[in-house]
Amino acid sequence: MVNEGEPRPEGIDEDASLVRALRSGDEAAFATLIDRYSATMLRVARGYVATHEAAEDVVQETWLGVLRGLETFEERSTLKTWLFRILVNRARTRGERESRTRPFSALSGADAEPVVDPDRFEATGRWAGFWSTPPPSNSIPEQRVLALEAGMLLIAAIEQLPPNQQIVISLRDVQGLDSTEVCDMLEISEGNQRVLLHRARGKVRAAFERYIDARDLS
Amino acid sequence: MTLQPTVRCVEFVADVTNWMEGALDADQRSLIEEHLSICPDCVRYLDQLRAALAVMRAAPDPAPGPLREALLAALRDSHR
Repeated sequence: MVNEGEPRPEGIDEDASLVRALRSGDEAAFATLIDRYSATMLRVARGYVATHEAAEDVVQETWLGVLRGLETFEERSTLKTWLFRILVNRARTRGERESRTRPFSALSGADAEPVVDPDRFEATGRWAGFWSTPPPSNSIPEQRVLALEAGMLLIAAIEQLPPNQQIVISLRDVQGLDSTEVCDMLEISEGNQRVLLHRARGKVRAAFERYIDARDLS
Repeated sequence: MTLQPTVRCVEFVADVTNWMEGALDADQRSLIEEHLSICPDCVRYLDQLRAALAVMRAAPDPAPGPLREALLAALRDSHR
């Protein structure tokens, strides 16, 4: 089993029709794209620069660059990949100008903590290492309202993560970019990316479990 | 006595991302999959994780109002 998540045929750009519309100045198309990507763009940029205002500047500059570059955008990559490459490059450059420490300069020792509280596993006996308090057996929210609420909660959980984890999970799991693209644009190894993704997903899953428990969806 | 390699719940949880990313070798994958075949608790953990991934992927996450307005204004300017 490789690369879980939404299956996407190679080379198909889900934004292709929006790109066409945007080339003719279609405001509705642009609004759709802004809403699809800007919140993630802000989070990613914020990991590189000193202030929220600086992150907004980077996002605006990126969109302006995209609008100017649309004429020559050859669609060898998807719009999404192209957009985030530009964003990460601009954010990184701005961060360097501000003499900020890069978000991926080191994997901190704090990353060695386990993603599930060790108290939830048996410590001794023949069942040592097995769940003592397993995940509750309840259904995943199907109803639209609950799913929307869960979405907001998980986005909030993502915003609590350290910048390097926030950037990786946003690009991989919120935006659905693939592992190779993300390693390439962030200039990190597959191994480093996996560690960050593992940490981030662990915390988000824990937030999701708390939500299900609190909602008593059993 | 030879110790058989085995995966317990604590190891499954630690290795789940490596497994999902296709980073484990065939022997490791087989141990993980064997554990899942006998452990409903870890199956639930995996289901929860997959559900969280689906929620993240589908979550509406619109641009903040002022930024959105500024960007739309920039589009109008660029087409003048």
